[in-house]
Amino acid sequence: MTSRSHGTFHASGRSIPFRLLEPNLIEIDGKRYRFYVLHNRNEHIVWLNGHTYHLPRAEKGALSHAAAAPASGEITALMPGKILRIEVKVGDTVAEKQTVAIMESMKMESALHAPKAGRVAAIHCQPGQVVEMGELLIVID
Amino acid sequence: MIRKVLIANRGEIAIRIGHTLREMEIEAVAVFTDPDEHSLHVPAADAACHIESYLDAREIVRAAKEYGADAIHPGYGFLSESPSLSEECEKAGIIFIGPRPDTIRSMGDKLESKRMMKSAGVPVVPSWDGNPPASAYPVLVKAVGGGGGKGMRLVEKAEDLAEAMASASREASKAFNDSRVFVEKYIRRPRHIEFQILGDSHGNHIHVFERECSIQRRHQKIIEETPSTAMTLKLREEMGAAAVAAAKAVDYRGAGTVEFILDPIGSFYFLEMNTRLQVEHPVTEMTTGLDLVREQVLIAEGQRLSYRQADLHPVGHSMECRIYAEVPEENFRPSTGTIEIFEAPAGPGVRLDSGVGKNAVVSYHFDPLLAKLIVWASSREAAIERMKRALADFVLLGVRNNIEFLHRVISDPEFSSGKIDTGFLDRHPELFTVSTDVPVEALLVASLGGEKTVSGAHLPDVWTSGFWRNS
Repeated sequence: MTSRSHGTFHASGRSIPFRLLEPNLIEIDGKRYRFYVLHNRNEHIVWLNGHTYHLPRAEKGALSHAAAAPASGEITALMPGKILRIEVKVGDTVAEKQTVAIMESMKMESALHAPKAGRVAAIHCQPGQVVEMGELLIVID
Repeated sequence: MIRKVLIANRGEIAIRIGHTLREMEIEAVAVFTDPDEHSLHVPAADAACHIESYLDAREIVRAAKEYGADAIHPGYGFLSESPSLSEECEKAGIIFIGPRPDTIRSMGDKLESKRMMKSAGVPVVPSWDGNPPASAYPVLVKAVGGGGGKGMRLVEKAEDLAEAMASASREASKAFNDSRVFVEKYIRRPRHIEFQILGDSHGNHIHVFERECSIQRRHQKIIEETPSTAMTLKLREEMGAAAVAAAKAVDYRGAGTVEFILDPIGSFYFLEMNTRLQVEHPVTEMTTGLDLVREQVLIAEGQRLSYRQADLHPVGHSMECRIYAEVPEENFRPSTGTIEIFEAPAGPGVRLDSGVGKNAVVSYHFDPLLAKLIVWASSREAAIERMKRALADFVLLGVRNNIEFLHRVISDPEFSSGKIDTGFLDRHPELFTVSTDVPVEALLVASLGGEKTVSGAHLPDVWTSGFWRNS
């Protein structure tokens, strides 16, 4: 496995190191788990050491709303990962839901969207930078 | 000699019968209807014949003739307990791997079967056509042609009897096209204990010990085991003798099951005789080493049983869990879909009789039984541990199922104590509630993508939705 298969997961104020050992075997915080994941239209299904969890998917648009507090215009990292591209520069005018950056976590890309229409006031990251979950990336006025 | 058998069934039991036929170097012919075109039992046979219905005896016998089969195995369910298939086979000169039509007919009628058993000296639950004496209450109203709890009513007081009989009769009429009902003594906290029987065409009848089937949901068994924790040597001898008497009373031919209910003070009563292979037959096979399908074939060929009662000595403990496509936490609602991940448990003493695998489509057309997980170990305690491990190893995703529920049931202290009866699940509502908490480890692996590559649009909502949001 490549170095991309390990990292740190941030949730509930905890930082949890993990290492993907095999496609269906992961070591989380020093303990091994067998796991399988299915992504359906309405939910993510996770099987982990004999237990199955059903994680409902959010409503459409939840991504851009959650990406930043809508009132503030702040765009934060949804997950720990790497910034691949930034598609705007300071001073640009952006529409609501316009893609402003692409980031990668594990082998998956995800788009970051402007939470509201406005002007790009600040950019706090650059392509290639590794960011933590919740880190402030871009501010829209 | 039987050379080619048509298996008039589908799913796990069709595949299981095929296993034995191959071992006996007998060719197998599968049948399938449209929804089963891609089901696993079709390629598992040497030939396959499309039919319109699993319930049309004439069509199935025609298929057997067309494919040159000299015998038909009915499996369980479908036509296995309808005298029509046995009759059509006799007419067409095809061997029916099961009892004679008259046995199926008399044992399929609950009143007639009880009358026959009573006269053979087998204890039966006291019953009445209409008004039981006041001392008999509580009583159960049951349908003559029924099963599976349909047309059944518990009546505590005499004044409620007439109304209960009328409504049970209406329900029975709709379900079984037979409105006859009768009244039976109600046994509190009963265990369901059945005895496997074998009979050949030469008047030899033996029993192959008991199976405990008390863990039931809606009168359907979900966990079975042998030996029963209720059994003593003396009780086994008495119940076994009653089972053999029942078999002799109808000169039973083939493999069958005599079902009893056992009350808390050790009295047992004949419930019914199942004139077919039972779903839970594997636990008997695991502790005795017999292959019951093989025995059925040999008996159908006219051979004598090659052992006597005294030759049979069960070893260890065996348990079966029925894997259903249903959601126990949501009132056992059936689930459908495509099985996208299927990783079967393995290891010593583990047997999986499955009708499905990866990519199998589970539809509303048939019974939701997907597979049976069977374990054997030297003791009941070890069998429970082994079953827990095997259930925890079993990955079946894409169709909701009861695997985790079964794990909770067998992990229950009352279950492990062996003090079980048919009311077990009703007394344990906590087994039906699951925590909605999602551990952070599950959120982590959800974000990894797993089996499928996930596009960016699919991932982040895992992180932003619902009750488990952590950030």
